[in-house]
Amino acid sequence: MANRGGAAQRPNSQTQGKICQFKLVLLGESAVGKSSLVLRFVKGQFHEYQESTIGAAFLTQTVCLEDTTVKFEIWDTAGQERYHSLAPMYYRGAQAAIIVYDITNMDSFGRAKVWVKELQRQASPNIVIALAGNKADLANSRAVECDEAQAYADENGLLFMETSAKTAKNVNEIFLAIAKKLPKNEQVSGAGSANQGRRLVESDSSAKTAGNCCK
Amino acid sequence: MFRRSMPNARRNRRMNRSNQLSKAVETVETMEESGEQGTELVSHHGVILKSHKSYDCAGTLSLMQYGRNKYIEWKAAEVNVDSDTQDHEWAVVSTGRSSRHRSNSECARAEPLRLNTVNLKSFRVSRHRYGQHLTFAQRGESRSFITFIFHQGNADVFVKSLLGQLKAYRSRRDRNLYDLAEEDSQETQELRRSFAELNLFPETAPYGVWNFIGQFRQRPYEATMGAFSKITDALLYKPAENDDSSVAELLNNSLMEEDAVIANVSGEEYEVIGSKATPILPSRPPVTRGAPLSVERWAQATAEDGRVTDVTAIKKIIFHGGVNPSLRYEVWKFLLGYYSWNSTYAERMCLRKSKVEEYYQMKQQWKSMTPGQEERFSDFRDRKSLIDKDVKRTDRVLSFYAGDDNPNVDLLNSILMTYVMYNFDLGYVQGMSDLLSPLLQLMSNEADAFWCFVGFMDRTCTNFDMDQAGMKLQLTQLHTLLSILDPQFTHYLDQHESGNMFFCFRWLLVLFKREFTQENIMRLWEVFWSDLPCPNFHLLFCAAILDSEKETLYANNSGFTEILKHVNDLSLKIDLDSTLSKAEGLYLQLMNIESELPDSVRTIIGLEPLNPVDGDSENDSIEDDDGDCSNHTEHDSSIETVSLGALGGEVAFERGINFQYM
Repeated sequence: MANRGGAAQRPNSQTQGKICQFKLVLLGESAVGKSSLVLRFVKGQFHEYQESTIGAAFLTQTVCLEDTTVKFEIWDTAGQERYHSLAPMYYRGAQAAIIVYDITNMDSFGRAKVWVKELQRQASPNIVIALAGNKADLANSRAVECDEAQAYADENGLLFMETSAKTAKNVNEIFLAIAKKLPKNEQVSGAGSANQGRRLVESDSSAKTAGNCCK
Repeated sequence: MFRRSMPNARRNRRMNRSNQLSKAVETVETMEESGEQGTELVSHHGVILKSHKSYDCAGTLSLMQYGRNKYIEWKAAEVNVDSDTQDHEWAVVSTGRSSRHRSNSECARAEPLRLNTVNLKSFRVSRHRYGQHLTFAQRGESRSFITFIFHQGNADVFVKSLLGQLKAYRSRRDRNLYDLAEEDSQETQELRRSFAELNLFPETAPYGVWNFIGQFRQRPYEATMGAFSKITDALLYKPAENDDSSVAELLNNSLMEEDAVIANVSGEEYEVIGSKATPILPSRPPVTRGAPLSVERWAQATAEDGRVTDVTAIKKIIFHGGVNPSLRYEVWKFLLGYYSWNSTYAERMCLRKSKVEEYYQMKQQWKSMTPGQEERFSDFRDRKSLIDKDVKRTDRVLSFYAGDDNPNVDLLNSILMTYVMYNFDLGYVQGMSDLLSPLLQLMSNEADAFWCFVGFMDRTCTNFDMDQAGMKLQLTQLHTLLSILDPQFTHYLDQHESGNMFFCFRWLLVLFKREFTQENIMRLWEVFWSDLPCPNFHLLFCAAILDSEKETLYANNSGFTEILKHVNDLSLKIDLDSTLSKAEGLYLQLMNIESELPDSVRTIIGLEPLNPVDGDSENDSIEDDDGDCSNHTEHDSSIETVSLGALGGEVAFERGINFQYM
């Protein structure tokens, strides 16, 4: 286990103007590093032999933008095709998704494209999708060219970064980029998807949170 | 609403009785006057009567039997209030006649209250900030409600008891609403007739009232709304004869009433619960765990030629205490069906020899696959790749599998690859490496571990169905069991988007492998493999864990995500022995009321159904877990397909979940 990289910064005080809460789901082929990305982002940890995810895991992490605190509710899913039928349960109502592939595995990139299509077809219309080419530390065994993935992302309006949960490269960055891209205005983000922002923070001060975002 | 009638009530009572409006609510004195001795069927203390004004009073709510009729009766607890000598009574506010006079002294005094269940139409449980409310609705167009508050939030318990005594139907649309079966007793008829005398519909009475009742039966929603409009008419056009404030209030409350039943009433929306729907569980007997199967006891049970005698007794010991770790290597082969209990040493030696040969033969098949073959065989390649990915990350924290180039990781790989050749259709599914890991660690020997794994997979292969039918079935069965074991908690889960029980997915998929240490998982599995005390004991084990956690969930008012997170975080924090004891206790509780259990529960725990019917609901079907794995492949003709009709295979499970709960 490596411990460098650090978790994302937590909100330091109550001075933030807004607190926004978003549901984010991680999707992608089995063993591309979905859980590792989350673990790095949430706990600043990395396990070389991170066990496979069964069912789903749920974690939260908060990031601070200039005037907004963004709380991510992260659903980490099992990647194997056999459990594909459960995925809609997780991406339903999600405002953001990170689709992960392994840069050393061309098949996983192909699978990522299938996920993109599925989300574009079935998820909330305004969902912010990021593509993460993980295991960037294994660039020696690269099978997916960065340019190719970037071109694909551009074509489909996705955020894109090559990440490494192991070295922490671009991990916080990709979550931050998503946070920035997410609409902080209820009217914008709430449009067109009944389930968005359904979940409120009940344990936190409820006065501060409502729907996607509150002021 | 039910409320007190005017203070000088003697005369009114006579009057009310004469028009039968007070049939539903009678004072206890009235009943006692008739000299009947009642039998208490159900009783619950600390229940608050939510009176019309904010006057609340705690007391005992019971179901009483007087003669042939059953009554909901509420009596205030001893209160230190000056009781004036005025004669009070509770009476239904007649829709128009009885005027509403309340004195302060009335509010300080709580008369007993009695509702004849014949005159009750439905009841509904609702959750509130302070506990639960149980609201009864009266039959007839008066739309009267009476609400009791259960501060402890255990109205469900009372309802469960009621369901054991009254014939009720649960609304399909509103799971908290129960419609009481109508009994055409003489009294009911009298009550109905009394509506005619109300002269509420002067232009059509009595025809209009009978018409109303007929309509009410067929189309309660429309009929009731129709009646409301007529009440409004009465209010508007006959102001002199009606106490408008009470009628207006009645209307208002009926429409605003948070527990209003009206919108949920529709003929086909009910499912029959039956007259003895939810049996009441007796208290849980204390259960203690036993000692593990000892070397001596095992030796004693093994005959000279090696046959294991006394299998039943041995299994009982294993169920209660597991197996001494030094015996596992041997005993597990029996438990997993690799060896038959009745085999001799010689037969086992012979069997093992041939099984080892068979194993290596199958291993050779994938080992000898040329790169070219592999390239043209994508199904094989996919399985191989999945296994490669998973063995690398299976239990690597255990010393047995730790470190780079650990040969045991290769063994794990070999066994799973060979299993692919043994059962190519099932192949490899995530979770299977978890199931194999402890077996390999125990057996060390590749071939033995493989055959034990085959036995284990024969038991659990439906967990890995392509369409998740096996998992879905278990989650449904767990919900069914919980609804009997703990209706309140089940209700809570239903209300918190968690009635799909999906948060137990990991527990069930890999049989708690991720929840316990390797030593404890071995203990738990051998207990399960004893097949005692009933099939699906693992579901009772789930229920036992949940029983320990529910208070935390209640306290945090956890919803779907929080429950899932909480349950995931229980990993390595569950006490094995006390949970096993509790699970056995749950089983004993069920068996104590065996004859009252619904068939849906009976079949889950291996009892013969009492009323076997063909094509019954999904809960009543039970899949043969011991089936051959090879039968459970891509599109099993599963329960799920049946219950969800046109939705086929893969999406069915997800839909099943999402439809109801997400």
